[in-house]
Order: sequence, then C-alpha cells, then structure tokens
Amino acid sequence: MNAPLEASRFGSGQQVQRVEDPALVAGQGRFTDDVAPAGLLHAVFVRSPHAHARIVSIEPDAAAAMSGVVAVFTGAQLVAAGVKALPTVVPFKRSDGQDVQAAPRRALAHERVRYVGEAVVMVVAASREAARAAADAVFVEYDELPAVIDVVAAMRPGAPKVFDALPDNEAAAMRYGDAAAAQAAFDRAAVRVAVDIHNQRLAPSPLEPRAVLAEFDAATRRLQIRLSSQMPTGVRDSVAGALGLKPDAVRVVVGDVGGGFGMKTGAYPEDVAVAHAAHTLQRPVKWRAERLEEFLAAVHGRDAISHAELALDAAGKVLALRVKVMANTGAYATSTGMVIPLALGPWVITSIYDIQTIDLQLQTVMTHTGTIGAYRGAGRPEAIYITERLFDAAARELKLDPAELRRRNMIRPEQMPYKNPLGQLYDCGQFEKILDQGLALAEWHGFVARREASQRKGRLRGRGIATFLEWTGGAVFEERVTVTVRPDGIVELCSAVQAMGQGIATSLAQLAVDVFQLPIERIRVTMGDTDRNNGFGSAGSRSAYIGGSALHVASRKTLDEARTLAAQALEAPARDIEYTAGRFSVSGTDLGIDLFELAARQKDARIFVESTSAVGGASWPNACHVCEVEIDPDTGAVEVVSYASVNDIGRVISPQIVQGQVDGGAVQGIGQALCERMAYEPETGQALSASFMDYAMPRVDGFRAFKTRFDTTVPCTINPLGVKGVGELGTIGAAPAVVNAVIDALDHAGQGRSAERIQMPLTPERVWRALHGQYDPPPLPPQG
Amino acid sequence: MPTLQFTLNGRAVQAAAESQDLLVDVLRGALALTGTHVGCDTGQCGACTVMVDGRAVRSCTLLAVQAAGCEVTTVEGLAQGDAPHPLQQAFMQCHGLQCGFCTPGMLMSAAALLRENPAPSEAEIVDALEGNLCRCTGYTNIVASVQQAARLIAGQAR
Repeated sequence: MNAPLEASRFGSGQQVQRVEDPALVAGQGRFTDDVAPAGLLHAVFVRSPHAHARIVSIEPDAAAAMSGVVAVFTGAQLVAAGVKALPTVVPFKRSDGQDVQAAPRRALAHERVRYVGEAVVMVVAASREAARAAADAVFVEYDELPAVIDVVAAMRPGAPKVFDALPDNEAAAMRYGDAAAAQAAFDRAAVRVAVDIHNQRLAPSPLEPRAVLAEFDAATRRLQIRLSSQMPTGVRDSVAGALGLKPDAVRVVVGDVGGGFGMKTGAYPEDVAVAHAAHTLQRPVKWRAERLEEFLAAVHGRDAISHAELALDAAGKVLALRVKVMANTGAYATSTGMVIPLALGPWVITSIYDIQTIDLQLQTVMTHTGTIGAYRGAGRPEAIYITERLFDAAARELKLDPAELRRRNMIRPEQMPYKNPLGQLYDCGQFEKILDQGLALAEWHGFVARREASQRKGRLRGRGIATFLEWTGGAVFEERVTVTVRPDGIVELCSAVQAMGQGIATSLAQLAVDVFQLPIERIRVTMGDTDRNNGFGSAGSRSAYIGGSALHVASRKTLDEARTLAAQALEAPARDIEYTAGRFSVSGTDLGIDLFELAARQKDARIFVESTSAVGGASWPNACHVCEVEIDPDTGAVEVVSYASVNDIGRVISPQIVQGQVDGGAVQGIGQALCERMAYEPETGQALSASFMDYAMPRVDGFRAFKTRFDTTVPCTINPLGVKGVGELGTIGAAPAVVNAVIDALDHAGQGRSAERIQMPLTPERVWRALHGQYDPPPLPPQG
Repeated sequence: MPTLQFTLNGRAVQAAAESQDLLVDVLRGALALTGTHVGCDTGQCGACTVMVDGRAVRSCTLLAVQAAGCEVTTVEGLAQGDAPHPLQQAFMQCHGLQCGFCTPGMLMSAAALLRENPAPSEAEIVDALEGNLCRCTGYTNIVASVQQAARLIAGQAR
C-alpha cells in the first residue's frame, strides 16, 4: 500500500482507535486528583446547612489548633484580603428596566448563606483526613432566615428575598416576538392547544468529581492551577480577576477530564478559594469534591416551568407559538444561568418549523437553591421539549399522525438560508428527508401490530417522535491553532478547545491526517495549557465544528509555508513543488525533501505556524428521533423498547465517536425523561437527592439497542469541513421522544389529552397515578 | 503507623496504613497507583472497583487492613506484560469508553465476571456491571466490549 493510502486509513470518515484510549484503559490517565506534588496540602470546605441564614459568627480557633492544620479561611478573611466575587456579566435587564443584579458569588460566603451546601469555611491541612476532622471542629453560628425554593413562590409579594438590593427575586426578563400578532393568530385559529411543563432540575454528574490543585511558584511569582475544566482560559481570567492578578500571572493546566457536560465550564468559588490558599500559603493546595458536594454545590441544569400554546389552522399549519417561561437561576444568578433560558433556548424554539409569529415571555428568578448553569443541551432541550410536546398535543387535537403534522410545518430546503423569528440564520437543512429516513428506520407504519403484540402481553405500548434542530457553536466562532513540525517526526497541533472525554484529540488528529497524509502516530494534538493557547474552550458542541475547522485551516497553512521552504531548499519554483505523505518533491524529477528533514534544517529546527480562523456562524444539526415504550400497568414502570434516530450532523469525522455521542447523549435524555430529578424539600431547601442512591442516573440495565444513522449529504455550508456540532443532539431529542411515547400509551389507555399533564421524570408512581387519572397541578398557574 | 502487607498485582507490597484508612486511599496514596478512581466516596458508582482474591470489590468501602494477606488486582495489573488484557483491547476496539473515569472500575468488575464465567450471557454481563455507573457511553458499547473480550479470550475474535 502506498503512503498516502496507508495514512488515509486514519483520516476523517474512518473508524480509528482513539488516541486517548491506551492510557485510559491501562489506568495511566492523568486526572487532576492523580497529581500530588511534594509538600501538598489538602483543602476541605465547611458548607452551609441552611438554605438561607445570616452568618452570626465563625469560631475557627479550635480547628486551627488541631494536628496537621495549616490554615482556616473564612469569607470575612477573604473579603479583607481583597478577594473579589466571581463576575456576572449579563446583556439583559429586569422587567422594570433595571440592570441585572445578583448576590455576589464569593469564594466563601460572607455574612449571608443562600443555599444548602454553599462553602462557608475552608480548612487547609497536611492531609485530607486532618482537614476533614478540623472542618468538623469549626463552629459557625447561623441566624436562620425564611427561604424560598420555588420560582412561583419567589415572585409572590412578600416572598423572602435572595438579594436585598432588589425589590423582588426577578433576575432578568426578556420578551421576544409580537404579542398582538400572536393574539390575532390565536383569535382566528381553528385549533388551539396548550401544555404546562416543568423541565426539572438535573445534576449533570460527570463521574469525575471536580478537583483543583493550585501551586504558587515563588521564583516566577506565578500561580499554576491544575483542574478539571472545559474552559481553561475562562477559569484563568476569572480566578485572576478574583485574586487581583493579571491573567498572565496565572497558568491553568488541564489533564484528563472525567466528563464535563457543561458543568465544568467556568470558575467555581472553590477554585478561587483554593487558588487563594496556595497563593497565600505559598504551598501546593488541592481539593477534590466528594460526591455530596457535587450534588449540593456544582451547578445544576434546567429547572424551568412554562405554559406553552400553539395556534393552528384547520389543515394543521401553525399560525403562532406563545410561551411563558419562568426559569430558576438558583441563589447566585450567573451569566450562563440567564443566557440559557433567555437566549439559547429561544433561538431554537421554532425549531425546524416555519413559524414566524411568536410571543415569548421569559423570566429568570432567584431562589435559595444551588446555582443553575449549563447541562448538556443548555436551553435547547427545554425549548425543543416544549415545541415537540405542543406538536403532539396539536396532532391529538386534530386527529392527525404526529409525523404528518410535523411534515406539514417543516421549513423546506428551498427556503434555505432561513431566518427564524429570533433572527437566527439556518444555512442548510433537509428536514423532511431526515424525517422520512427516521420513519423508515423506526418502522413507523408497523406500530399498530407491535402495539397489539404488547397488549397481548398485558403491556401498554406507546410511540413518540421528535424532529428538531439545535444550535451549536458556543457563540465564539474563532479559534487559534499553532502547528509545529518537529525534526523528530512529529507534527504537533496545539488547540484551545478542550478534551473532556468526548475524544476530540482523536477527531482533530484525523483532520490533520487528511492534510499531512501522515500516519496518525505522527500527529500530536495538545490542549489544556493557557501558557500555550487560549480560547473559549469546549462547550456548545463547538470543538470539532469550530476547533476542527481552525485546525484544518492551520494545517493547510503549515503545508503552504513548508512548500515555500521546500522550494528554497530544492532551488525550484514553489509551483513545481508537490507534497505527498510527508515528502516534498520537484515535479518530474526525483529531487525531494522529507517534511521533517526540512523542519530540521530551519534555523530553530522546526517549522512553526500560528493560525487564527473563524467559521461563518452557528451550525444547525438536526434529527428525527423515534422511541417506543412499554408500560406495565400494574406498576407504572416504563421500559424503552426501541429507539431509532437519523441525524444530520453534516460530514462525519469519526464515525464511532459521533455514534457514541448521540447514543450516550440519548441515555442522558432518557434519564431526564424517566428517572432523574434534583429535588429540594420545598420548605427548608434541603437537598433530597444528594447521592447516587437518591438521584437516579441510568444504569446498565436500561435501554441499549439504539438504531442510529447519520445522513451526511447536507454538509454545513459555513465552515471548510462541512461538519455540524454533535455533542448535544442525542440529549435534546431523547426527552421529548420518550415522553411523547409514554403520553401516547397513556392516551391510548383511555387518558386522552389529560395524559399531557404528566411531568418528568416519568417515575412508576407518576405513570401509575396518571393511569388512574391523577395528575399534579400545572407548575405555572394560568395567571402566575 | 502499622504496616500492611498484601499482594498487589502479583507482587508482595507493604504500606503504612492506619486502621481507619480505606483501601482506595492506600492504593492511590502510599502505593501511588492512581488508576483506581474515586467517583462517589460511598460505594454507589463503582469507579473504585478492584479485585480482592478474584472478586470485584469497591475499594472505597473496604478498610485497607481488610486486604491484609489478600491478592489485590487493580487496573494497572490487568495487562500481561506489554500485552493489554483482552478486556482492555476490547474496550478500545468497541469504543467502550469516553472520558475513561469509570473505565478502571468497569474493567475490574468485568474481569471478575470473566474469571468466573468466561462466556457470560448479555444478562449476566448486565448483572455484573449493575453497580458501575457511566455517564458518557450509555453502556451499549461497554456491554459490547465485554462480549468482545469474551470472544477474544475464547480465541474467536481478534
């Protein structure tokens, strides 16, 4: 086999062994908690037992005197030392026109605690055990205050306030669309349907708990922070800002990351506290979260209630969409926690449908609960869930096949590029083609026979569909990549996107193989070091789409520069220089030079290229997901029995990886649909699901027989690779597909449209009660 | 501090351990084998699974002293010399891991299963892995990896 052909076995579109895997399966990964420098100190946090309280006093002396304890830090000490709160920068306003304000999110609580689990005191000791024992000896006196957990209660007059400086608990509000036009459409509509939705709070729960290790180098006066994060540069800037350091005085290093899912996107209070300790004590300090701390104090996702309405004409054409949403921000309203419900969700709420008349009334509300941040999908799962539930409700009302109703409303290929009513521009998409393939893969029209077969076994069968798109890109479309051709035969590409377990190093390496025509072993992708590269990091399914495009451009640029160097070395015009599989040659001659030999001949013995490039905007992956479920009517237990999906993610770089993303993502969506819920006790704000015993994450006995296909015939038009984001698609599609299937089964069992009142997660108890006509009241009261 | 003696990955080892120390902390700390991970501290996620005398055990809920005199195998001891264990090979072939954090525990639970039952049914694999959480893969490829490993061991696949 010739060299380019040999190399192309590892290029894009090929199934390759991931470059990440040999170390990980051998136990040789390098996660943050695996690193233990000499002289390491360990931090442990004392956390608030109350949802809302005034800190009366803190007595740290007994703890400080204990064996092995080096220091005890309180919020007051940090404030006195000039440590600032984490920034909240938000382009939104409150409904009274005031700028957004939120309680300062400090490294350690000062004067007031606002949720159960908020860090109050940090103990630093020679061992984790000593720190833990000393933490138990810290005495904090609290004056407990009334707390509010639920957003509706939080907006009632006289509700306990999360942040005293504001007149109420509203963080921000947004209105999109044309209320009068929407009302007119509803007035003339033949059919009007409404659904009430609680998109419950979820704990993202990557298996690796957060960990951070900070070291201060007295010689260089620099702080090095090693942590598990998706956004090294953002953490660097936030921590530097909080500590009053210049960004270049802080280096953030990220090793292996044991899952992120959006939860590891920004700096956490604990990161600042640990960095401050290392800076002050001039000793390395490490903290590794216990799982309980992750449930209490890592960000949660979702938690939004809505009342959504759809107006249609008699033929099933949608006339208008009207949605009212109240989203919980938790106690500390963050930029992320507000952008998700106020922008990212609305951007996709009309999805793949030609709907131009909308009225969206959106509000974010603060409560005495843990901080809401990003969790896989971030806004798009909430929005798509609303839209897909409405389409099913309308199909039921119109007595139409739910697939047919969707088809009648889809944006047609000839309408591309299509601007949705939020001003988002879809570059491409052939939604009906994806629908048709999805229906065929799911054997949509054979359902009646399957339902009858289930019935004979005494089980209720339902079928649900979700056809949808999502937005990917993370709002920053530019990436910088550096390429070094080394004399030792390695092409090293340094990217600022961040591996977090998704296999991005492999996909990026495959893209480099395409350009350099070299075996994948000769490609090295490095990430996770703010001294080497900086950027937005990995979120919003942007890593392959934007990071990959930038890496492709940088690789091409490198070959162009190397060609010029080769022309000089070979004393031939550049236009006569050909490149094949690591070798430049003068066409028509046997003169040539190896790429790496060429690098060795340069004055610093390498070819180094820096490249910054951007894609033309967001990408719009889309899909058709179809799920079938069986319900045991005696117990209400739901079993997913089939799941078929056809996904348009444009060109596929790594087939095995993208299927892993879609299927693994779908299991997270199934988890939301059926079992997961981060629950608080409504009066006290105590977390009720703060362990894997109480927070029901899918285990291996759940559904695994996914039928997953990719249609690669509709490449993205606004990046050089034609790829679209893939990381969140499965999660976004699965929850509505599963819930629509369960509601279909309940409808068929005699519940009719009442079945639409059931709320996630569809636990056996809720499903059993629904089968007996019992439902919870709507989460957002009609005039709430 | 008392000294604990046991066999670790085929070699006799000694480590200082207090009576309250957990096996996982001794493995990751004094013995510097960080392949065994702590995911929940409470025996609910399985990331810390190791084999003790051939049985899958959560090292975060076992006192180190309970391993005295036992044969402990961690993920670092799974390979035979330079050759990866069939399970390691199969997890790489079948994309049985994404972030890799749960993987050592999955491998050790699966290794204990295959030791007892070299040709497990799908239901037996599911049963053996029920205590191991994975947030990335959705488990499909993990079960496929164990099936592939069984085929590799039986010489029915490569």
